[in-house]
Amino acid sequence: MSLAIEASDVVKVFGGIRALDGLSFRVKPGEVYGLIGPNGAGKTTALRIVSTLLTPTSGTVKVFGHEVVNEAEEVRKIISYLPEEAGAYKYLSGLEYLEFMAKFYASDGDEAQRMVREAAEISGLGERLRDKTKTYSKGMKRRLLIARALMVKPRLAILDEPTSGLDVIHAFHVREVIKKYAGEHGITVLLSSHNMLEVEHLCSRVALINKGRLVVEGAPQELKGKYESRNLEEVFAKVVKIA
Amino acid sequence: MLRGLRTFMVKELKELARDPKILIGMIIVPVVLFPIMGSVMSFAMTTAMEQTVKATLVVVNNDGGEWARMFIQFLQSAGVNVLVEDNVDLEGRVVELISKYNTTQILEIPSGFSRNVTAHLTNPNIKATLRFYSVFRGTSIFEGTGSSIVDTLVSQFNRNIAPDVLYTEKSTIIKGEVKRGLDPSMISGIMAMQSFTMPLVVIILLSSSMQIAATTVASEKEEKTLETLLATPVDRLAILWGKLFSSIIIAAIGAIAYMIGVTYYFGSLTGNITAAVEAAGVSIDLASLGLAMTPLGYLLLGISLFVTIVAALSLAVIVSAFAEDVRSAQSLVGYIYIPIYFPAFALMFIDINTLPLAAKILLYAIPFSHPAIASRAVTMGDYWTAALGIIYVSAFTLIVTYLASRMFATEKILTAKIRFKKAKGSKKQEELY
Repeated sequence: MSLAIEASDVVKVFGGIRALDGLSFRVKPGEVYGLIGPNGAGKTTALRIVSTLLTPTSGTVKVFGHEVVNEAEEVRKIISYLPEEAGAYKYLSGLEYLEFMAKFYASDGDEAQRMVREAAEISGLGERLRDKTKTYSKGMKRRLLIARALMVKPRLAILDEPTSGLDVIHAFHVREVIKKYAGEHGITVLLSSHNMLEVEHLCSRVALINKGRLVVEGAPQELKGKYESRNLEEVFAKVVKIA
Repeated sequence: MLRGLRTFMVKELKELARDPKILIGMIIVPVVLFPIMGSVMSFAMTTAMEQTVKATLVVVNNDGGEWARMFIQFLQSAGVNVLVEDNVDLEGRVVELISKYNTTQILEIPSGFSRNVTAHLTNPNIKATLRFYSVFRGTSIFEGTGSSIVDTLVSQFNRNIAPDVLYTEKSTIIKGEVKRGLDPSMISGIMAMQSFTMPLVVIILLSSSMQIAATTVASEKEEKTLETLLATPVDRLAILWGKLFSSIIIAAIGAIAYMIGVTYYFGSLTGNITAAVEAAGVSIDLASLGLAMTPLGYLLLGISLFVTIVAALSLAVIVSAFAEDVRSAQSLVGYIYIPIYFPAFALMFIDINTLPLAAKILLYAIPFSHPAIASRAVTMGDYWTAALGIIYVSAFTLIVTYLASRMFATEKILTAKIRFKKAKGSKKQEELY
């Protein structure tokens, strides 16, 4: 069985700056894999390359065997990407937004409606889905977008800072949804986060990247043991200092 | 003084001064556009005057008497470039002679002129008649100048001899037909309304629809919905064309609403003028003069306006793709207003054919000039100019939409930014990762 993600020696240069400098990592199907690292480490660039939004300057990335540059259209059919701080169309209602997005993936109207019903359940927004999204709080909007990302049952969900800026209640809801949904449907998840608690709670494996390179990789427990730390935050601090 | 007022004002002024939209609206438009408009108008007027003065006035002397000779001498001493032809029967031959002498105006001194001038001196009820024929080409609002100059000369001559001794019967030659009793300055006044309409429509329609198109693209970026969309299986060109077609539909609705309003406005205005002119004893009906637009003319004008809107919208889409938010997109689109406003204003007053070659090429090269050029051309029955304009603008649009498609197909749609300052650009880039 092919790997969910196979990134090999990926370099991305913007102007004169190397955002990624030979990044390599592999994600197995069904894994929840976290990318952690300081600001400007290259996490978002890596996620955008896997999502086919950016093309690597050199190196290759494959998603379930499909190359992200030459087979971008194939990759887009099996992934679902949630950017950090993503928004919804403010003059559409939550339901209209979900229907709009579902139509890109569904083969017919019934399938699209099934996806929307699924999303309504995942989001837990109930009747508020009939309101325009501009009336939503930040937390409600994020729940809608997470639901949008998961309703299509992608083979790979790419989530950039899924709980960034959310309060404890909304963040908890979003994390539970990701964990439950990934487990139930065998969805592979690639996420980035600053929240070490979140990473520890969700991820089966994490990769710590700094200055566009992978510094260390492993299961959270394994890393804590290796760096004699109580939590991933300490691991993070130690590794970044060392790097 | 209010606490913090000064600090707050300094911050406000800094922000306002650094906003390109303010810079364009408050400084570039008045400082650059108005002087340009002034020069354009004065150029148009001077050219029209010069042309009229320099143009040969063919004087057909069918009288041969002393007063006719004196009148011709008077014209020559006033600096008019006169070509005198003796005893030519003009009946049914005006158009033929106009092309033979390669002129746009003929003044006939009919037989009996000298006898009538002499008779006038004893009986003021008798007047000597002159017949003035002028070609109307519908190219400039100053086309009536020739007729006005003849009026001035006649009234000067009258002042020297006796009040009201000479009377001018005027005829206008439109599309090769002599319209007797029609003063060219009157018709050019009415046509001026039309020459203002299309440039105004172009200015308002294009600028508003471009703002719509720019906003739809930029709001996808501002609301962070574009990234999500680009990672879905939707065809990227579907995003581009979807935006373009929706903007076109909105612009078309705007165009229809605008045309209804403008037609009513100018209709009532021309109606009043026509009524006033008719009250003065002359009947002007644009349709019977062949100056009302034909269905083919309307069709060509409609197509010309449509392709120009598509060109402007594609340009707005591609330009706004470089902007990070709605505000900067609108500022960027503001720069395209200059090539829209400039030809529109220029073509309100200028006959494009009188311009130096370089200026002519420049005006033809700007795609936004073409609806205004087409508007005049089709009124005068010149369908080729309109058709070639449509072909040119369509080719321009194809190139622009091709570039826009290329942009949407690559990561440039997310990463491209126009950098006003290097430092600002590099700072923005860091935010990418």
